[in-house]
Amino acid sequence: MGELLDTFGFTLGKFISQVIIIFIVYLILSKFAFGPVMAMLEERRRRIADGEANLEKIREQMEQAEANVQQMLDKANADADRLIVEAKESAESVREQKTQAAISEAGQIIAKANEAAKLEHEQLMTELKRDFGRLVIDTTGKVTGKVLDDKDQERINQETAGQVAL
Amino acid sequence: MQIHLIDQTFSHAILAAGGINAPHIPGLGSLSNSILVALIVTTVILLFTRMATRKMALVPDGKQNFVEFVVEFLYGQVEEIVGEKVAPRVFPLLATLFVFILSANWFGLIPGVGTIGFGEKVGFLMIDPDDHSFVPLLRPATADLNMTFGMAAVFMFMWVWITVKETGVIGFFKHVFAPKGGLTGFMWWALLPIFMFVGVIEIISIMFRPVSLSFRLLGNVYAGETLLHSMGNIGALMGMGEWPSRILGVLVPLPFYFMEILVGLIQAIVFTLLCAVYVQLSTAHDEDDH
Repeated sequence: MGELLDTFGFTLGKFISQVIIIFIVYLILSKFAFGPVMAMLEERRRRIADGEANLEKIREQMEQAEANVQQMLDKANADADRLIVEAKESAESVREQKTQAAISEAGQIIAKANEAAKLEHEQLMTELKRDFGRLVIDTTGKVTGKVLDDKDQERINQETAGQVAL
Repeated sequence: MQIHLIDQTFSHAILAAGGINAPHIPGLGSLSNSILVALIVTTVILLFTRMATRKMALVPDGKQNFVEFVVEFLYGQVEEIVGEKVAPRVFPLLATLFVFILSANWFGLIPGVGTIGFGEKVGFLMIDPDDHSFVPLLRPATADLNMTFGMAAVFMFMWVWITVKETGVIGFFKHVFAPKGGLTGFMWWALLPIFMFVGVIEIISIMFRPVSLSFRLLGNVYAGETLLHSMGNIGALMGMGEWPSRILGVLVPLPFYFMEILVGLIQAIVFTLLCAVYVQLSTAHDEDDH
């Protein structure tokens, strides 16, 4: 066995030196290379996992927000439809009220106009009767040559008015 | 002995790296050329990893990215073999072995390693072709039994520690010697002698693991070195003139360099893979243990 080892150049001193070198490489690489790299890979893996989890959370929130928006849109549409119907109904009612008010006002205006016309007519008729009575008195006085007293004038006026009031 | 530097293209046929032994470098005491290369490789690995991991960021730069890729890839492979539980404990050792073996193997392919050294000068940058006292300044670290056996020994030491930590001493012996397959009662006792015998064979096999690991790596790397040296000196070996020998010495080894790059990678994988399998075999729990 010793001869075999000699043949292949095995010596205890060199062997121990190489073992020490390997141990040194092992210890240093473990501490300064594999350890930090594995920690970094783990950190990156954790961050990616966190990112994925956040992404999932954001996606769920987005879905929730979209659902809320849809719900709000549906509600707004329903409210809008209701408001439109109400507005139409309200407008119809107002239109009806306004129409009725206008009709009523128009009726009142017509009645007032009729009243005014009637009053004016009566006033004109009164003036006409008065003027006509005066004319008849003047004419009667000139034709008869008689000065008519107040009594005669009153009687002639009444008779004339009675004739005109036809 | 006069000391002169030689270059591969001008060297004559010599044994790879000056022979299977890793000689001491003249003037450097007991420092052998393979230890020197191991130190250089160690320094290069440590400097590179230190540069790559000194200022680590979540968004990695080129060096950090490369180191992370290598570590993540290796960890995935190791975890696949030894399992999720044991992987964190065994990964640093297996990764160290892989990185070191690969670096040492490829370092040995750098022109000049194994061919520049100390010997008797017979011409301009040439040594005596029959000079067997040639001492290369650099020698592939994995072409030295001391290094390969050292790595195997370190692995076996860690293997024992991991196995005992994982299964306990009694668990280990039970794992090796006790009947497996969920046997109970009479069958368990009946098959116990057979399993005891198999266990003894298993122990012998375990004892030979460092030998097989170290000699496999040594043999492959040393054979590759010898092949490259022979191809580099093929002109001289065939008795050609000086200039044809020099041209052939450059052209002929080229395809073999590519092959040796592959061999260097494969041998690093084989060594590490076998180590991982050994760990898996000793730490895997039988179904009836659960």
